[in-house]
Amino acid sequence: MAIMAVAALFHARFPLLLRRSIPLLSAPTSVIYNHRTLLSDGLSTRLCSILRYSSSDGVNGGSSGGDFGNDNDSVSVVSDVQSPNYLKFTDEELMKQCRLETFRVSGPGGQHRNKRDSAVRLKHLPTGIVAQAVEDRSQHKNRASALNRLRTLLAIKVRNKVDIEAYAPPPELLQILPPKSTIRTSSGSQIGPNNPKFVPGMQALLDVISASDGSIADSAKLLGLSTGGLSRLILSHDGLRMAVNSMRAAKGIKPLK
Amino acid sequence: MIRIFPSLRLTSLLSAAKPLCSSSPAKKPPQYTSLTESKSSRPTKSLSITPKTPLYLRTPSHATSLSEVWKWHDWAKDLASSVEESSKNSEDTLDSVILHRELKWLIEDSIVDDPLVILHRSEIADNGEKNVKLRASLEELYDLWRQRIEKRRPFQYVVGCEHWRDLVLCVEEGVLIPRPETELIVDMVEELVTRDEWFKKDIWADLGTGSGAIAIGIAKVLGSRGRVIATDLSPVAIAVAGHNVQRYSLEGMIEVREGSWFEPLKDLEGKLVGLVSNPPYIPSDDIPGLQAEVGRHEPKLALDGGIDGTDSLFHLCHGASRMLQPGGFFVFETNGEKQSKMIVDYMMTSDLKDCFSDLKIVSDFAGINRFVTGFRL
Ligand SMILES: C[S@@+](CC[C@H](N)C(=O)[O-])C[C@H]1O[C@@H](n2cnc3c(N)ncnc32)[C@H](O)[C@@H]1O
Repeated sequence: MAIMAVAALFHARFPLLLRRSIPLLSAPTSVIYNHRTLLSDGLSTRLCSILRYSSSDGVNGGSSGGDFGNDNDSVSVVSDVQSPNYLKFTDEELMKQCRLETFRVSGPGGQHRNKRDSAVRLKHLPTGIVAQAVEDRSQHKNRASALNRLRTLLAIKVRNKVDIEAYAPPPELLQILPPKSTIRTSSGSQIGPNNPKFVPGMQALLDVISASDGSIADSAKLLGLSTGGLSRLILSHDGLRMAVNSMRAAKGIKPLK
Repeated sequence: MIRIFPSLRLTSLLSAAKPLCSSSPAKKPPQYTSLTESKSSRPTKSLSITPKTPLYLRTPSHATSLSEVWKWHDWAKDLASSVEESSKNSEDTLDSVILHRELKWLIEDSIVDDPLVILHRSEIADNGEKNVKLRASLEELYDLWRQRIEKRRPFQYVVGCEHWRDLVLCVEEGVLIPRPETELIVDMVEELVTRDEWFKKDIWADLGTGSGAIAIGIAKVLGSRGRVIATDLSPVAIAVAGHNVQRYSLEGMIEVREGSWFEPLKDLEGKLVGLVSNPPYIPSDDIPGLQAEVGRHEPKLALDGGIDGTDSLFHLCHGASRMLQPGGFFVFETNGEKQSKMIVDYMMTSDLKDCFSDLKIVSDFAGINRFVTGFRL
């Protein structure tokens, strides 16, 4: 059974604009619309661009053949001061930076087949990070899970530079610190690892640890915590723990357990 | 070449006295009656059909010892794993990876307790004496799984529902199981109505509604002001669609009407703002070779589109010209590639050629040119 991976540009949930995909790759945060001045009353150019796809444009149906397999799964750290903080984007904005890949058994699809191919694979074009979800019954839910996974992966893999000399922790990081931290300003309760808001805090935390070359003691000082307190926080989230440990491994420091 | 009209040319609309575009809605007296009124005046034959309750909504009246359920689970897993060897040579095979996933869903739908007591039994400190509550007897579960594998009964008929977009729709034999590709129709409509509120103010129609999937999806994106008429020729489809509409409390927005294509919509000529349909589009010659789950179990009426699969689609094209108001939108699902092109060519060259603008072919997630969309001039 030949499994074919077909990629389709994911644009506002439509895979229809592949023919303009090249600029999107280099300008990930800007959305590419094919502006049309022709269409009627009240129809926004945005909509027209979505419904505009036609085979007369010379690209065959948005199918780009599978580049499945040669994508860069091994991207580990993207160090780029200029890179935007992707976690700040809304789900919809983030989706626009992604290419959606669905898996399909070759064949005509549609009414011909009964097969829940609800697996969803999102490739975040600016970073090359890939997140996927297969376990759910509806494509809708798999898409949501894949997007959550993408956020976690972005937090773990994308490092922003921080200036340790003049370090001021961002609010999303303060929220995930235990109340004991001396730099916590508000008395709000601590956001735990199962809360989606933990993810941006985790990213900021990893930025600090990375800037401290993987040292927990140094990072703890910056965050007004004891070394033990910070370790406990790190160990509370599997992805966070693994990210810290791989950072430490790269510096020849032994892992946290 | 598919791009045709340089967009809305009002002049061509006014001068269009072409035969099939000529039933100008303006000449008819307003006939619109409220949805509820016309509903009560249209008793359907289908009222006698009672849709089946899907497994996950049944009463959990079957207390069964965990060890017996584990035994069933072992048997079901073995059966799922055994399929590949037995059917290696044939084109149309069961896939044990997918079957294992389906088995997990079957358990989720059948058990009230946490399904993990079955799926992760090694972590359960229990020797299996405890009772769990099931929504089907163990005997029935044996039978259902055997039907799935030996009879190739579609999983969705086995459990009586399909997860589609954010909906869980009841389905049963006699009603097409909605396909993931078709979800895009609702996405397109959502995109359209969020960009342009004009499309929310009047009536939409979903022809050949089957389980009611598209109609329900559209009603939800239209919001409280939306009105959708869903039609089908099949009494079972009518009953199931009505039931699904009820389950989502959309009776006030969706009216289900029985009849062939436009026949139940006579009161709405020239009044629709939107028309959607996923009609039967498989060429008759392809029917015998369909995947067993489809060919042996799904209704022919939902699949067979005539010699080249376009019978219903051509009919819908003509209807779209009569039923839509100027500016109204349509989207039809097709068999893909060749067929969508045939439809567009037809709309550009036949006597319909001055009826529509902005005809497009839109591809599905797999890159197949699946949909034809356009606007009534
Ligand atoms: C491919 S199924 C689509 C069902 C549903 N809209 C969906 O997408 O899941 C086609 C539907 O058209 C219905 N149908 C077939 N012939 C019809 C006719 N002449 N008038 C109205 N509906 C018809 C079938 O009963 C079936 O429900």
